[in-house]
Amino acid sequence: MKYVVIVGCGRTGKELAFELSKTENVVVVDKDLKKLDSLGDDFNGKKVWADALDINTLDKAGIAEATAVYLLTGNDNLNLVVGKVARRKYQVKKVILQVGDTIKKKIFSEEGLTIVNRTYLIVEVLKKCIS
Amino acid sequence: MYIVIAGAGRLGLVLAKKLEEDKHQICLIDKNENLCNRLASELKDIMIVCGDATYPDVLKEARIEKADVCVSAASSDEDGTIICYLAKELFGVKRTVARVNDPKHIPLYKYMEVDNPVDSTSIIARIVEEEASFSDVISLLSIKKGRLSIVRVDIPEGSPVANKSLKEITLPANSVLVSILRGPDIIIPYGSTVILPGDEVIAATLIDIEKDLVKALIGKI
Repeated sequence: MKYVVIVGCGRTGKELAFELSKTENVVVVDKDLKKLDSLGDDFNGKKVWADALDINTLDKAGIAEATAVYLLTGNDNLNLVVGKVARRKYQVKKVILQVGDTIKKKIFSEEGLTIVNRTYLIVEVLKKCIS
Repeated sequence: MYIVIAGAGRLGLVLAKKLEEDKHQICLIDKNENLCNRLASELKDIMIVCGDATYPDVLKEARIEKADVCVSAASSDEDGTIICYLAKELFGVKRTVARVNDPKHIPLYKYMEVDNPVDSTSIIARIVEEEASFSDVISLLSIKKGRLSIVRVDIPEGSPVANKSLKEITLPANSVLVSILRGPDIIIPYGSTVILPGDEVIAATLIDIEKDLVKALIGKI
């Protein structure tokens, strides 16, 4: 089983945590306890209630052993900074993060760091609808 | 020098005015439009750019590629690190300085290669702690982000160093007595100088051992 850390338990994070927890070991990090609680009792992963900008939180979530880290908070800059740190300090092989802005996607893309942009994805899907 | 400051909150604003008085060229960036309009009419000699400084086009508008220093006075650490990172990586700014809002976030600044993260919370906490806890000790000056401190200590009756010469007393390593104030006299101490109760001693010390020094001079904390 892979070991996956998800930072940010909003709509996307929550959905992904549920999906992945069926087959993988999942840890979800959020600073909002309500959001972690929204995963409910059926969720069989680990929850970490803390600030992801604090290195201690990342250690507690076991980021060093993670196969992949997803950064899905609504804060672009937080996703980018923690994503960079996950690559630089912890050498996590796959870091995937969500950024709401297309310019930052271009600047921060690097090996091992996949940046997903919602607008870009939707446009691609919309384009395919008429092809 | 040309200095770009991101964030026109209290810190950013005070800093901009001070640096401008020192004849530096300043550009101040803030995302609050109302604030920018007001500042633009109040501060004639400071360039104001309105926008989110974590975006490259805003930094470009501030002509950051010409800046000698980029200072982030942003109130969130993720923004501060991104601003300094962009300034350095994208625009080649040599020196980046950032205000650290939460001391727990300092490692982030390190990994994002910010040259000088300034941990304002810890610095203020240290000063307040000093003011609150030792009445016999007054911090006169702090140098190198507070790591070196010049202090004044009043020597009480019964101090372990009272009525002893410098030769006879042992002070912690990395601290030194600079002078003794005795009534109207200023004494530069030698080995044979005797410390008397009521003397005010000026000492330089590394901040980590300030408590040890105080203990050595007044016998308690």
